[in-house]
Amino acid sequence: MVNKEMLEKYAEKLMFRMSDEEYVTLENEFDIILKQMELIGNINGISDVEPMIFPFVTYDASLREDVDKEPLTVDEVLSNTKHQVRDQVKVPKVVE
Amino acid sequence: MYKVIIGLEVHCELKTNSKNFSSAKNTYTNMPNVNVMPVDLGLPGILPVVNKEACKKALKTAMALNCETPDEIIFDRKNYYYPDLPKGYQITQVTKPFGRNGSVSFLVNGEEKTVLIHQLHLEEDTASLEHCSNYSLIDYNRSGIPLMEIVTEPCIYSADEAVRFLETLRNIFLYCEVSEAKSDKGQMRCDVNISLMKDTDTEFGTKVEMKNINAFTSVKAAIEYEIKRQSEILDKGEKVIQETRRIDEDGKTYSMREKVDAVDYKYYIEPNLAPVKLTDEIKNKVKSEIPELEYSRIKRYIDLGISVSDAETIARDKNISNYFDELIKNTNDLNTATNWLTIIILGSLNKLNISINELFITPTMLANLIEKVSNKELSSQLAKNILYEAMEKNIDPMEIIKKSNIKQISNEDELISIIKNIFDECPEQVNEYLNGNGKVANFLVGKVMQKTNKQANPGTSLKLIKEELERMK
Amino acid sequence: MEYKKMLIDDLRESIDTNSVSSEDLFKEANKLAHEYQSDINPFVTIIDKYSCRAKEKNILTGIPYALKDNFSTSGILTTASSNILKNYVPVYDATVYKKLKNSGAVLVGKNTLDELAMGGTGTTCHTGVVKNPWNTSRLIGGSSAGGAASVALGIVPFAIGSDTGDSVRKPAAFGGIVGFKPTYGRISRYGLFAFASSLDHVALFSRSVKDAAIVTNVLKGQDDLDMTSLKDDGKDYVATLNNDVKGKKLFYIKEACNLEAYDNPSDMLVNTIENFNKVIENCKNIGITVEEVSIDVSILNALYPSYMTISCAEATSNNSNLTGIQFGNRIDGDTYEDIMFNTRTNGFSELIKRRFVIGSYVLQKENQEKLFLNACRVRRMIVEKMHELFKTYDGMIMPASGGIAPKFGERSDTLSNEYLILENHLVIGNFGGFPSITIPSGFIDNMPVAVNITGDIFKDDLVLNIANKIEGTMNYKGQIVGDKNV
Repeated sequence: MVNKEMLEKYAEKLMFRMSDEEYVTLENEFDIILKQMELIGNINGISDVEPMIFPFVTYDASLREDVDKEPLTVDEVLSNTKHQVRDQVKVPKVVE
Repeated sequence: MYKVIIGLEVHCELKTNSKNFSSAKNTYTNMPNVNVMPVDLGLPGILPVVNKEACKKALKTAMALNCETPDEIIFDRKNYYYPDLPKGYQITQVTKPFGRNGSVSFLVNGEEKTVLIHQLHLEEDTASLEHCSNYSLIDYNRSGIPLMEIVTEPCIYSADEAVRFLETLRNIFLYCEVSEAKSDKGQMRCDVNISLMKDTDTEFGTKVEMKNINAFTSVKAAIEYEIKRQSEILDKGEKVIQETRRIDEDGKTYSMREKVDAVDYKYYIEPNLAPVKLTDEIKNKVKSEIPELEYSRIKRYIDLGISVSDAETIARDKNISNYFDELIKNTNDLNTATNWLTIIILGSLNKLNISINELFITPTMLANLIEKVSNKELSSQLAKNILYEAMEKNIDPMEIIKKSNIKQISNEDELISIIKNIFDECPEQVNEYLNGNGKVANFLVGKVMQKTNKQANPGTSLKLIKEELERMK
Repeated sequence: MEYKKMLIDDLRESIDTNSVSSEDLFKEANKLAHEYQSDINPFVTIIDKYSCRAKEKNILTGIPYALKDNFSTSGILTTASSNILKNYVPVYDATVYKKLKNSGAVLVGKNTLDELAMGGTGTTCHTGVVKNPWNTSRLIGGSSAGGAASVALGIVPFAIGSDTGDSVRKPAAFGGIVGFKPTYGRISRYGLFAFASSLDHVALFSRSVKDAAIVTNVLKGQDDLDMTSLKDDGKDYVATLNNDVKGKKLFYIKEACNLEAYDNPSDMLVNTIENFNKVIENCKNIGITVEEVSIDVSILNALYPSYMTISCAEATSNNSNLTGIQFGNRIDGDTYEDIMFNTRTNGFSELIKRRFVIGSYVLQKENQEKLFLNACRVRRMIVEKMHELFKTYDGMIMPASGGIAPKFGERSDTLSNEYLILENHLVIGNFGGFPSITIPSGFIDNMPVAVNITGDIFKDDLVLNIANKIEGTMNYKGQIVGDKNV
């Protein structure tokens, strides 16, 4: 089962903070879903089932032909940020 | 002494017209953000669509590396946050990579070495970051460029082996025409994992990772530096720290970060890319496009009796090797063919700064010239001069021969009369010979060559000079 | 006839006979949009400038419509009803928008939704709640809340939404209108802000089955920008709407629709089942056989937790692009991590964050097998069961919901431990990509209720055909809010 400390760590890895009350709600939600998922684990024969990722697979999809097309203009690329220098997006210095 | 265990992760940018998952141009430019589609920016609502050519090239390389290939093409997401990763995930392959369990063989100092390939997969490059004094700038041109990653098993035991492996790999990329693989442009770069263990140890030592090394010489330097560094630590009875290190210009490595806990990338199958079947028909077609590779050619040349170093020189470049194969189809004089190609032709290519495909002299032209020498119609020296002239003027050597009416004088009667004239002109040298200095014969051959405008057959001339002088003794 | 009561055929005829211009229709729609905005809140953006540039004229040329605010519209603010995108103006067009634009359909506004389409109440939008126009003390449902409200109010004859669990088909039921989700891939998703890519469908609201068929005809087809889009089936869905349905066979799930399956059924449930049974009678009257089928309750009970698991997992990954770096409402910080933290902390509501934490948890290496992959296994089990049933039956018919639209506060998107099969079965349509349509079937307490028909993949034409015939047995075709609630 999960506790607040764990949940805080998960939130941090997802790059956000949550309010204290929300952790209470979330802990309850985890209780519920984990219990329900545990029951799912008991469904007869479930381990023999191949997980389904796509709603169906037709194998009709085609790969894209390797032809380049008109790109966005530089203005379009940068149109949704005011943080720009020399046609690039500016962020605080990234330290590796 | 410690046993060195090295594993490599090699990244290679594939040569395609468009990016891996968008139709933006795949090309290098200094102008930022000019080759960017919504997909490469990770804008809300975008969907990736896989580039057919990139898949073909990854599959081709997997086959060239003798890998097992999957029954269908699917991709996975690798989730992490970083400013150069606009979608917040990288599309890569984990579930069904294009290649698994492959191997590649090559010679290290004449000995065969086989490196096992753990897997080969197709993924996308990140945007590039330019670091300025107190901020960084993001350019999305590189975002989404098809990237192939090849991971070896930890089965490389020295810096030399690592470098030879990388050279072999690069030549496979070039032979298969999947990448330009220029390491100075970052088109081929590698991560090196290295650990040391005592001969008596049963488990690998602590692994140190060195990231993003471009030049092969840097790989060698970094490995050698690390072996020394880690040996010293172990000698002192201390422990090597598991960490990531970067390499500076003089080949020393510096700690970047210690590995705290492994990042969980929460891989799962990319649901936007519908699976595509990889039928035997497709696989066979791609396989048929793989040329005979470097190592197979080296072995073939060695079997023909060519020296290891010449075989390696010729096979290093597919076009040169193809030229050579065409050449030896048309002449039986393997020795001359090998020497002329490796010395005269390759030397001239270097001087003229052209590739062999741009050379005017075709393998057939060259073979014809070699045949003239084999048939003793031309002296080797004369033929070489003709070859140089032909390369310089871009004409068929046969044309030169025809125009200047060059032919070799091999007729003995004709030669003997010339030789007798020379004996009259050089009585001192004749006397010297008669007094026991055999070397003088060569001087006289030179005279014959001079007199005949190099058309005399030097071998026959020498033979006749000696016969005549012996008779005079 | 009054504009707001007109179906697409009526509007087409009025334009073609010059009795009204397309611009007049737009003005009427625009007026209605403004009129209802403060009470109901159907729009994030109302377009005030008429624009109709048909590249190829078709049945939708000149017809007003609305688009959910999670479709990329270049030059028009697109927020997904989230603070993190409150200033985001796209630079490219979603394929559906492009198709409608090229058809000369006239965009009236961008509809309010539950934030990032992750909710079923219409109450989590950054610009406030969307109310049910039939009764403003009740919610309309979501996530395509604004679209349902605008079609139910007659502001537009159709609206484009997205359906990941039931996000069009449920609000359609609560709004007394038609909600149709075609086969997965029938309509391109390019430009639809992803919630859960393997479950997301472009879907639509209309006031008749025929209008749903008309709009789908225009929107369907393969798109080079969406690898999961289907090759066009070349069918005209309108042409087959009136095919004879005599001998067609439908089933319903006993465990959800038979009152005997409930220990203590509420009055609402009893009334809902009664309404449903009336529809079954109507089906029989037009020659459709309806049979009861039993499905393992443990699988039915697993539907909702499996849906939560899969959709949250995909959502947490899909929304990782919302960091404020290259677009979005960046909140500054000293490092790039700070920017991401501040942007996401301020940009997402708490419900969204909880969903992301759950999604991320189930994908973690140590949990993936037991949680995410087990959910994917449930998905296959139910989908395979459906495929098996579709060998015998032409479709499944079910009440679209366990009752009428709830009052505000009665239901939230906080996870509950109740198993409500009747509230959650619509997700089967998303699990398997099945074509699925909700049509109004009457009223309880003066609020609309509906039935849903779901068919086998690729059989969009058959589902529309059956729905159209069933619609014909009732009097709710074309209804708008204020019509007599009988």
